[in-house]
Amino acid sequence: MVNMAWLDTQDRHLGHYVNGKWLKPEHRNSVPCRDPITGENLASCPQAQAEDVAAAVEAARTAWENWSGLPGASRAQYLTRLAKMIQKHQRLLWTLESLVTGRAVQEVRDRDIPLAQQLLQCHAVQAYTQEETLAGWEPMGVIGLILSPTFSFLEMMWRICPALAVGCTVVVLVPPGSPTPLLLAQLAGELGSFPGILNVINGPASLGPILASQPGVQKVTFCGAVEEGRVLRRTLAGQGAELGLALGAESLLVLTEAADVDSAVEGVVDAAWSDRSAGGLRLLIQESVWDETMRRLQERMARLRGGRGLDGAVDMGARGAAAHDLAQRYVREAQSQGAQVFQAGDVPSVSPFFPPTLVSDLPPASPCTQAEVPWPVVVASPYRTAKEALAMANGTPRGGSASVWSERLGQALELGYGLRVGTVWINAHGLRHPEVPTGGCKESGSSWHGGPDGLYEYLRPSGTPARLPSLSENLNYDTFGLAVPLTLPSGPEIGPSPAAPYGLFIGGRFQAPGARSSRCIQDSKGNLHAYVAEGGAKDIRGAVEAAHQAAPGWVSQPPGARASLLWALASALERRESALASALERHGVELKTAKVEVELSAKRLRAWGARAQAQGHLLQVAELRGPVLRLREPLGVLAIVCPDEWPLLAFASLLAAALAHGNTVVLVPSGVCPIPALEVCQDMATLLPAGLVNVVTGDRDHLTRCLALHQDVQALWYFGSAQGSQFVEWASAGNLKPVWVNRGRPRAWDQEAQGAGPELGLRAARTKALWLPMGD
Amino acid sequence: MSARNLGTELDLSWISKIQVNQPAVLRRAEQIQARRMVKKEWQAAWLLKAVTFIDLTTLSGDDTSSNVQRLCYKAKYPIREDLLKALNVHDKGLTTAAVCVYPARVCDAVKALKAAGSTIPVASVATGFPAGQTHLKTRLEEIRLAVEDGATEIDVVINRTLVLTGQWEGSDFIKTSTGKEAVNATFPVAIVMLRAIRDFFWKTGNKIGFKPAGGIRSAKDSLAWLSLIKEELGDEWLTPELFRIGASTLLSDIERQIYHHVTGRYAAYHDLPMS
Repeated sequence: MVNMAWLDTQDRHLGHYVNGKWLKPEHRNSVPCRDPITGENLASCPQAQAEDVAAAVEAARTAWENWSGLPGASRAQYLTRLAKMIQKHQRLLWTLESLVTGRAVQEVRDRDIPLAQQLLQCHAVQAYTQEETLAGWEPMGVIGLILSPTFSFLEMMWRICPALAVGCTVVVLVPPGSPTPLLLAQLAGELGSFPGILNVINGPASLGPILASQPGVQKVTFCGAVEEGRVLRRTLAGQGAELGLALGAESLLVLTEAADVDSAVEGVVDAAWSDRSAGGLRLLIQESVWDETMRRLQERMARLRGGRGLDGAVDMGARGAAAHDLAQRYVREAQSQGAQVFQAGDVPSVSPFFPPTLVSDLPPASPCTQAEVPWPVVVASPYRTAKEALAMANGTPRGGSASVWSERLGQALELGYGLRVGTVWINAHGLRHPEVPTGGCKESGSSWHGGPDGLYEYLRPSGTPARLPSLSENLNYDTFGLAVPLTLPSGPEIGPSPAAPYGLFIGGRFQAPGARSSRCIQDSKGNLHAYVAEGGAKDIRGAVEAAHQAAPGWVSQPPGARASLLWALASALERRESALASALERHGVELKTAKVEVELSAKRLRAWGARAQAQGHLLQVAELRGPVLRLREPLGVLAIVCPDEWPLLAFASLLAAALAHGNTVVLVPSGVCPIPALEVCQDMATLLPAGLVNVVTGDRDHLTRCLALHQDVQALWYFGSAQGSQFVEWASAGNLKPVWVNRGRPRAWDQEAQGAGPELGLRAARTKALWLPMGD
Repeated sequence: MSARNLGTELDLSWISKIQVNQPAVLRRAEQIQARRMVKKEWQAAWLLKAVTFIDLTTLSGDDTSSNVQRLCYKAKYPIREDLLKALNVHDKGLTTAAVCVYPARVCDAVKALKAAGSTIPVASVATGFPAGQTHLKTRLEEIRLAVEDGATEIDVVINRTLVLTGQWEGSDFIKTSTGKEAVNATFPVAIVMLRAIRDFFWKTGNKIGFKPAGGIRSAKDSLAWLSLIKEELGDEWLTPELFRIGASTLLSDIERQIYHHVTGRYAAYHDLPMS
């Protein structure tokens, strides 16, 4: 066998592949790489230690200096050569991958390997046109990629291809006992030209934080389980590297009564009972076709074959004892909670083989309904109407992928648009293509691969300084922003009489704060300027609720309507120019500059209004007849903590980008100078629908804490202190909301790139890929 | 032939409820061909099984008694005796499922098979094959005459004018096409037909047979068809009573593959007897 022969070339002792050569340090704990089915020891893998990680990052950093400076065409050429290298050694790749993962060889051979080549070729094209299409962006630097054992080498390809294409270099941390990534690194290394751009080390996931904290690592991408991702998110708060998460593997299938049921049953097979997907499936079946569907499913299951992955005629292989035990545990629990379990298929009855499993009648409130469904389990539940299906589908914390089966176009699109997931296939399941962005939302993480979105994961606007750790070791997460400093009367009010106290702008009107206290705002001379309301946890709760209520109405507004509201707001802002400018002036801004700030703020509102029109686009995929829509959907309720600097301009820039993309907003204005923002609220009260924008003043740390820990805030932008940024990153692990923090660094809001650049647009919405295969 | 399809009340709602998603069916068709790769002795066994489903066919305008006779002989001895011996299946009485000829050649076929001491059934295409655009009266007469001559199976070309205007006919066996069309037996079409057979069986308990015809020339194709039947309908349908392959050149390719399996060499055309 060619795979054994390759293992023999390494004396059955695999090392790490670093800087274009094998790295086999002495005195390391070895972990055996086993055949998941027979348990046979295939090779031993030394586990990396911190110094091996450091060596790999150092190699990647050195390689980056050259690689990132190359013209895109040279990188394109390299990627094309690597694609050919894979083609030459494809037999070795597929037999090795199937042997060590236990997955069915035909799936690896007919799908994964061609896709891996396609990925390289497509990204070669992206690299070639980079100077033209990605002007204004530059590669981040060294990327760390952490893979968990359940993900195949293809997941690595999905991420290294865009990273390499745009000019980043990569260090991949794979769990011990996964030689395929090592082989790929070796193939890349044997091209000779650029050692060190792709380095693979094997070691436990606990090395992740060590990898992330190496100097030079700018981003860490993690694929794995949700809980692991949560832990990593907390651990990496305040670290230098940005974190991208792709979590969980469960998928969803909605079967309507207007579906081609037999084809939908094949969709279920693709989604859960083949070696195509890593996770289980939640299956929603319309009540009227429940019996018919269950019968067909059971009939189909009986014909599935499981067995050794290298057998060319099996549908499902086995994925080792861990996957078996996970499925076993889930099924037993489901049974104990009252579910019906049906198992069938020609599958060996010994571990690690696990038969295709269909779970039904699971009580809606049972723990198993909430838990992630493992491979190869399908959990079926009935629903009555499309509306109910949407409510059930969106009622989980997961948001990966889903398919909708209906021959009624209108219904299929209604469901496709309504599902809160990253990918929707209409009348198909599990299609993938390098040019189509794939990702998720909610707890499935918000990192993307494929398509334009996959490239931006590894780019930053040109001129952005490198990310450095801003870790504050003594930041106490339990107490940060917990208590609101008390505001006591502080001497006589002198100077001109202060403006009347402002309330909190919630649900379209000014309200008194729950705490019934105010804070005083001083001008640049230290005189009292005004009193503003002291907002607290209850006020944040109310604001988030109001924003949620406004969300459906705002989302359904056509972009044109959003644009005209933003334009109306811009005009209102201009009408208030003198009041706004004088408020700014009192905070030490020269009158001339203040006027410019007001003018620029109105311009931002108009510019984003205009951009609201141009959202999303159509992708054409070679193999698929029919289009793939790349939709840009709002994040939902977006919380924004504005910076202290540029009190009006930063507020307007952030608000405009957020509203243009259909978000509803809870906003904390500049702490030093919240008056201009509150002035604008008076116009928003008359112009905007109630609850669309909510502005809460108060202690910034306290409000930040409330927002970051709020499970129903769907994204958070924070511009404030380094400590606050670190807290936000840490707290976002709760619902894994995407966050954007400035780590205490000021931004040039008056500059076009930083104040209104495409980065804001990217952050303000999430992508959804909607596949629409066509045929008569 | 299985028990006759006694028919059922025509319920057009069955047809109007059917949903077929073409792209999904195309993907399934691709998968079936890739997911069941049988090799080595399993492949040889599957190929021999495939032989038993063949309606060995000659439907040429220039058919005469001599080539019909040769065809019948080949039907009785489809694979060279020494190859069967090497596989230890020489005493199984392996033959094709039937021979299939034009009505006018039924006589010749019956005679030749009788002479060869065989009970292989003779199938005849009839009713204005391949267009079916003749009068009902002559169509019925054609069937009557073929049966009189000894045909035991009739491949009827249905009146497609009636079908396209929604007036359906019943049958015991359904065939993908006459084999004389520009496009004949394709997997996606077969998948839809097989699913209809299964639905009909679930509704009425009647098992309808299936016969793809036209364009099935290679041994590899025939294996894909067998796995298609196995996957979509199950083993119960893998019998000559319910599954036939209409083909003329397929058999020689199967024989070549068996030759290769037994000897390890590829056969020259003259190594194997022609049909």
